[in-house]
Amino acid sequence: MSIKAKQTRPISLRLRLVVLAVLLLTISLGLVGFALDAAFHRSSEAGLRARMESLVYLVLAATEVGDDGSLMFDENPGDPRLDQPGSGVYASVTGDNDHWTSDSSLGISLPDPVPIPTGESDFLPASDETGFFYTYRCGVSWELPQDRLLPVTVSILVDPQELQPELRAFRKGLWQSLGLTGIILVLAQLVLLALGLRPLRRITEDISGIESGKLNRLEGNFPKELEPLQRNLNHLLNTEQANQVRYRNALDSLAHSLKTPLSVIRSSLQSDGSAKTVAIENAVADMQRLIATRLQRAAASSRSSNAPAVEVKTQLERLVLSLKRVYSQELINIDVMIDPDLEFFGEQRDFLELTGNLLDNGCKYGKGQVRLSAQTIDAGEPRAGIRLQVDDNGPGIAEDQREQLLQRGVRGDERVEGHGLGLAIVLEIVRAYQGDITITESDLGGARVSVTLLTR
Amino acid sequence: MRILLVEDDNDLQASLAEILRGAGYAVDVSGDGIEGLFFGQEYPLDLAIIDLGLPGLPGLDLIRKLREHERRFPILILTARADWQDKVEGLEAGADDYLTKPFHPEELKARVSALLRRSAGHAQPVIELGPLKIDLVSQRVYNGKQEIDLTTYEYKVFEYLLMHPDAVVTKTVLSEHIYEEDADRDSNVIEVFVGRLRRKIDPQGLLNPIETLRGRGYRLSNPPRAT
Repeated sequence: MSIKAKQTRPISLRLRLVVLAVLLLTISLGLVGFALDAAFHRSSEAGLRARMESLVYLVLAATEVGDDGSLMFDENPGDPRLDQPGSGVYASVTGDNDHWTSDSSLGISLPDPVPIPTGESDFLPASDETGFFYTYRCGVSWELPQDRLLPVTVSILVDPQELQPELRAFRKGLWQSLGLTGIILVLAQLVLLALGLRPLRRITEDISGIESGKLNRLEGNFPKELEPLQRNLNHLLNTEQANQVRYRNALDSLAHSLKTPLSVIRSSLQSDGSAKTVAIENAVADMQRLIATRLQRAAASSRSSNAPAVEVKTQLERLVLSLKRVYSQELINIDVMIDPDLEFFGEQRDFLELTGNLLDNGCKYGKGQVRLSAQTIDAGEPRAGIRLQVDDNGPGIAEDQREQLLQRGVRGDERVEGHGLGLAIVLEIVRAYQGDITITESDLGGARVSVTLLTR
Repeated sequence: MRILLVEDDNDLQASLAEILRGAGYAVDVSGDGIEGLFFGQEYPLDLAIIDLGLPGLPGLDLIRKLREHERRFPILILTARADWQDKVEGLEAGADDYLTKPFHPEELKARVSALLRRSAGHAQPVIELGPLKIDLVSQRVYNGKQEIDLTTYEYKVFEYLLMHPDAVVTKTVLSEHIYEEDADRDSNVIEVFVGRLRRKIDPQGLLNPIETLRGRGYRLSNPPRAT
């Protein structure tokens, strides 16, 4: 993969879905939490208000007003928190010319009480105006002699700290349960993802199976959403295979259409040995060699990755039968020493071409004895490739000619004498399979050609 | 010897036919597989040369059909496809040899001669018959060191008899195998050829290799031996 592709590679589906799910969960659970928190806050304030209202009545009950409008109090208004300094609950009563505050306000600076009209009451949340106390005020009138009315305002102030333990406990419970819910939902999401993405993982595995040649097409049963992908991919594979066949057929017909006119040229030549005839003859031979080697190279390089395995022994037996038919008058003995289970994971056409040419050379240049053996390169990995040796009992190839013969074949721009076109084609195939080829002396007396073909 | 050539390229067909006729064979030609099959089934042939890329009926199918119909003459495949895969398929279909285009005319003649020889059971290209030596490749006949000068038709008759030793060969069969389908045949001419041939190869009348079986035909006895 190139660096550029790495940089622009999109985030994985799994990460994408997990991140989105976590974000969504956080936001929605957060909103739920805040709504619940606010609702609880309101309801605890409502409870506080009710409690403060009843405190007002307690304070009123403990209040006595003198005829002059002075305020007097029972020592005990009925709630111990009013007596205890700094308890957080304070009461004040304000008349026309007198003012009382509960003992609990000792050392606490309460805001100045604001009187409200008789018969009205209000509840003020803790704010700047109220000196950060919850305030409940109630306006009443006290009947004095001579039909005088004394307007009195009873205020209850509660430190917001009073609500805190309750709120804290609620919040703790709330966020704990929301957090737990969140974790459960994220885990559930992961499980869903794993289940949901499993067909994708399977399709990926199948595709790598196709790449390695184990599968021909996507055969599995995939969910409906993946069906178009499967269908299109199989279609693509079919098209590719069809294209390969077409390509090969095109090469074949090219060969056919070029070789027939070449045959016409050759068969029309007078065999008089004149310079002109020889020149034309050489040109035709060059064209013949170019067609054979170049077409072989093109066909070999178009080898498909998913060719079925070639049963080496079966194919070689076919070949040997054919060769025996061709060389039937020459009493040739071809020994095949091959494990019947040996398989070649390349193109059958290439395999037949390679072994056909090597055996044909063996039959042509040997003196009736040819031996072929083959093994797998790596016993642990049968797909790695095979090694082949073809021996004959002919005159062999002189040491100084071997390298030259192989070099020429590779260059492909000179006529290869002796072993002819066959070896040039063999070299093309060996190169297409990234193998190597060596010529040595055989224990049969002639040449031994050893070839490896890599199919991994 | 009579050869069927099935090749769809007109130029190649014409020049190959010329080469083969020049080599002393009777040649029937066809440009497509269906006609080729008809000729192959109906004509008394000694060999067929079949191109694989044929219109009508592909060469491989043509070969299979001929073999199914018990036609046993040798078949030489001409193919532009040099692949061993194709060669193996062709040989498995029933052909006896293949020749890859473009080929040398000499190569074609050598293969044809070798196939004819093989089918007659001669392993070597030179046959000995008493003091006579017959080189089937160069088509020359020697008596000791002395070359005997035979005309094309005399050689054709001799060659056919050599390829069918000990068999009774009628004049009709001889004329069928040395003439092409549309030639004018006259069995009296065969008698003339055989008469001249006898005088040339056995001037003293000591050997008498060609017997006449009255009313039936000729037989080459004193079986030829390979050298």
